[in-house]
Amino acid sequence: MKEDKPKPPLAGLIYGGIIYWGVLGGSLIVITGSVLSFLGDNFVPVSYWLSSIWSGESPSQIWQGATGSLPMGHWYLSHLATGDGLTAMGISLAVFSVVPALFLAAAVLLRERDWLYGSLALICGLIVLTGVLGLIPIG
Amino acid sequence: MIPIHKDKDGRDKVKKTKGRGNLRFWSLAMSIPELSILIMLITGGYIVMAVFSKVQGTDVLSPLSMWLIIIGSFLLSTAIAIIAVIAGIGGGVIFTPIMLGFTSMDSLVIRATGLVVAMFGGLISSGPFMRARLANLKVVFYCGVPITIGALGGSVCAIYLHDAMGAVGDGIVRLSLGILMLVIAWFLFTGGGKTEYPEPGHIDSLSLRLGLNGSYWEQSLGKVVHYQMVRAFLGGLIFIFLGFVGGFFGMGGGAFLTATLNLIMMAPVKIAAACSGVLLAISDATAIWTYITYGALIAIIGAPWMLGHVVGGILGAHLLIRIRAGFVRKILIFILLISSTKLIARGIEGAFGIDIPVL
Repeated sequence: MKEDKPKPPLAGLIYGGIIYWGVLGGSLIVITGSVLSFLGDNFVPVSYWLSSIWSGESPSQIWQGATGSLPMGHWYLSHLATGDGLTAMGISLAVFSVVPALFLAAAVLLRERDWLYGSLALICGLIVLTGVLGLIPIG
Repeated sequence: MIPIHKDKDGRDKVKKTKGRGNLRFWSLAMSIPELSILIMLITGGYIVMAVFSKVQGTDVLSPLSMWLIIIGSFLLSTAIAIIAVIAGIGGGVIFTPIMLGFTSMDSLVIRATGLVVAMFGGLISSGPFMRARLANLKVVFYCGVPITIGALGGSVCAIYLHDAMGAVGDGIVRLSLGILMLVIAWFLFTGGGKTEYPEPGHIDSLSLRLGLNGSYWEQSLGKVVHYQMVRAFLGGLIFIFLGFVGGFFGMGGGAFLTATLNLIMMAPVKIAAACSGVLLAISDATAIWTYITYGALIAIIGAPWMLGHVVGGILGAHLLIRIRAGFVRKILIFILLISSTKLIARGIEGAFGIDIPVL
């Protein structure tokens, strides 16, 4: 007897779909931000960013010269009207899409009474969220 | 040398095939509406950036060279993404060692950008892999916990080492990454002993209780393939280590993830490759926040690498079914050998202060 093609689980479709469209949405913001940065609307001038990176300066030296100290947080959230702020926001938003994807996949699994994998997805989401919120002290 | 044959009308056959190839490539890009819109927006954006640029030159770079860095990064990223997807590895394995070995950029900036490169190919292919049932949700969430813990630990250690040891720490990173590259090159050279459909002998009770099994439609066989995975505990431990390596070096080590899933946990090679891509994305998406909040990811340089990997990741995933991976793997081994030699030399110079003039 010929077997039918197995169907993908709903939680998997939701997980993959959120990330796919989240990354594409983030990419649109990144394009807009990159264009704005070359048109002159910036938190820190593009020429400064690129020249200091090209010269081999460390992040602390780069930020020291730009703002006086390392940002130690989500600096771009208060500079969304600037090109570099918007570009950083786009990258972060695309990466962040993993968090709602994991939580929604967990919700679907828990609703299907798959307690084990629902909980594991939830734990994964919480670990990623720990990174997002910067709960582990660095530097 | 490319063989040139004439057809019966005396026309150049190679030219004709190449033209069809370009047409296929273009029609592939155009057959995915969101990808074609993205490519048009990126192209338009870069043209606007060139024509209306208000960027001032500095002692280090002229406005034109700044624009060329952005465009060059985007094109290189697209090419790396296509090669990486076809070879079944993360793009960070190509990006990070080349940049660390051959540019003067700071290692922390390179590793942060390397995570962007390693991650976005896996992120964008998560959707298609889930739809095709190639990425097993149970495997992804079971291995996801140890790999994210390792990745978070690795990224925090990278920042500590960079701050505490400066140039010597940089040398140690380059040296150990060079050695790691040699191991990956050896893995790719030997094929890691991969088996397409491994048959586990003894199934341990943890794997049974976790239900680490599944099925998928195998196009080449025209039938459903069922599989059972084993050694869940050992696999979990290895994933903590692999997550740490990815978070620390800014490259995911996709080759090792695939090998662990295929050789140790006995997943079919296609399932191992797909799960590896999805897991790479989760672990790097955890590690990168440490670099973002610290300020090591400079958005203006990360942006073209991200966009290139989104475009190249989608194209590569669709090209994978049509192109033989063997040739790409040989190119990759060559790149890894060259960059690991350079990395080891620079690592020895940085860590021990020994000058190696030949390299």
